[in-house]
Amino acid sequence: MHVPVRIGPAEAKLIEQLGSRGAAAAAERLAQSGLPTRKVESYHYTDLKMLLRTVPELASAEKALSEPVFRVPGAHRIPMTNGIADLDGTEPAGVRAGTTKGSALTERDDVLVRLNAALAAETLRLDVEGTVGTVLHIDRRTEGDAGHMNDSVHLFVADGARATVIETFSGSDEGHLSNHASFVALGAGVELTHILLDLSGAGATSFATAEYQIGAGAKLRTVTIHVGSALSRINLFARFAGEGAHADITGLNLATEGQHSDITLEVSHNVPRCSSKPLFKQVARGRSKAVFQGKIVVAPNAQKTDAKLMMQGLMLSDEAEILSKPELEIFADDVVCGHGSTVGALDEDSMFYLMSRGIPQAEAESMLVRGFLEEVLDPIADEQLHDALESVVEKWLST
Amino acid sequence: MTTPMLEIRNLHARIAEREILRGVNLTVPAGEVHAIMGRNGSGKSTLSYVLAGKADYEITEGEVLLDGEDILALDPSERAAKGLFLAFQYPIEIPGVATMTFLKAAMNAQLKARGQAEMTTPDFMRAVKEAGQSLHIDSDMLKRALNVGFSGGEKKRAEILQMALLAPKMCVLDETDSGLDIDALKIVSDGVNALRGPGRSMLVITHYQRLLNHIVPDVVHVFSDGRVVESGGKELALELESKGYAGFDEAAA
Repeated sequence: MHVPVRIGPAEAKLIEQLGSRGAAAAAERLAQSGLPTRKVESYHYTDLKMLLRTVPELASAEKALSEPVFRVPGAHRIPMTNGIADLDGTEPAGVRAGTTKGSALTERDDVLVRLNAALAAETLRLDVEGTVGTVLHIDRRTEGDAGHMNDSVHLFVADGARATVIETFSGSDEGHLSNHASFVALGAGVELTHILLDLSGAGATSFATAEYQIGAGAKLRTVTIHVGSALSRINLFARFAGEGAHADITGLNLATEGQHSDITLEVSHNVPRCSSKPLFKQVARGRSKAVFQGKIVVAPNAQKTDAKLMMQGLMLSDEAEILSKPELEIFADDVVCGHGSTVGALDEDSMFYLMSRGIPQAEAESMLVRGFLEEVLDPIADEQLHDALESVVEKWLST
Repeated sequence: MTTPMLEIRNLHARIAEREILRGVNLTVPAGEVHAIMGRNGSGKSTLSYVLAGKADYEITEGEVLLDGEDILALDPSERAAKGLFLAFQYPIEIPGVATMTFLKAAMNAQLKARGQAEMTTPDFMRAVKEAGQSLHIDSDMLKRALNVGFSGGEKKRAEILQMALLAPKMCVLDETDSGLDIDALKIVSDGVNALRGPGRSMLVITHYQRLLNHIVPDVVHVFSDGRVVESGGKELALELESKGYAGFDEAAA
């Protein structure tokens, strides 16, 4: 027997917003099931029904008003304000930019994807060819008064291309609810570094879903970094679509006082002879909660898969929580797969060693945390981008 | 009478419920090198940790004066800024922190704590290069993460490099000879000897006489059951080598 769920104010608002955009099916679905609770496995640690109390009005089109919170020296920046890209035709050689109607993500059965699919008005589409030496920075902002904003990016990297792309999320108001979608397709032999950096205001709600489709022989490095937003959920889906590809899927989940930050990853090995090395580091301090769920699925025909998932957590306070759930689902028999998860405090012997050289406690702590995170930042080849990300971490540590 | 560089008075320390230091009395005058010899488990390494301020130990009684100032209430970084240096028996590996970055942070933190101006990068690089040369430390090693993947010899040389750069007035060397072959021992000892001088005292902890052929002490103390049971000239080390520690146990009892 179907028991209708109780609809809270946040859900009622979302249903109304979906209805106002003509997304009757999505509205109906949400009315029937409500937002996911802890009983839904993929949201077990991030009970959206409980955590999402209010939903602001749908954001309207705005011109970018606030100063960018993050700049990469030498990068080509494409501002995207409340879902509308500001294209001025100065894209570097090898990059073609345009827009398409609707969201880049439509398929996946996830509440955030359904919302984005119904509410994102347009998608920024970037086509990348050849070797692009300039870092591309997609500066995704939520501007204006507190608003509910859905935006979308489709990045298509053609066969043999090489590029580095960073997408940042930030906004003007602590009351924003932003829900971002990115679809990243890598052709054969592509070498791509793709970074997602959430710099939303400390009180904001930030959701994101990124899907990667990885072509034969491609090399993908992703770095997903959370530093902002009070409530955050980032879905990462990576799917191998061609043989002989490799993906380093990495991230830093930094949670501070009052924050709940969840990164959930699913890697699908659907074809043979691919390798993936997910590596996520979480640091939690104050009363905060950092969540990482990582699942590797190896399909029956994906023989010779080599996959190793690693989560390392660092607790900087007694009130902080780090939750980690690594999973392997293996249906092929000739594979090498593993996972590991560790959580601990700062090593006392290391602290003593640094302090015995005259480095004061606070500085020694931040040095060890930086050292802990460096494994994820170190492989970023573009020096200016690497340094810019390091300074984001630095700033997080010093505030 | 001049103030000794280090004065330990009736020092008692325990870890959990076990008393390890049981009334240590020891005085190292300025400019002198003293050796502490004792068998494994006699409390030598505990003494070095307690001097440097490791938090695991509870001090139940006694005083430690560095250049006349009681340091027991200070944290390890404050003691270091006052001029105390411990060369670790097992230097700790710090992943993700380049040796060079660490050295600069340590030097500048100490200068800052003493109210002195921080070093400029070129001055710092020059100082490191100079100090590194005699210890056979090249720039490649300095780019690597601190002590990570260093051989035993490299770790000990890196410790002495830190000592040379930080220019402490009181050096405590905890089993600096352990894990070193003859050649490495010579490099490390030469490095230590080069740092001997009137303004600097050293406490060299070892259980082999071998190290003391290279770093010749002014005074040798025998440590047993958590305290100094005998003190004498460098010939005491030779006596220990031939008689073993057993002969000194009675003195401790």
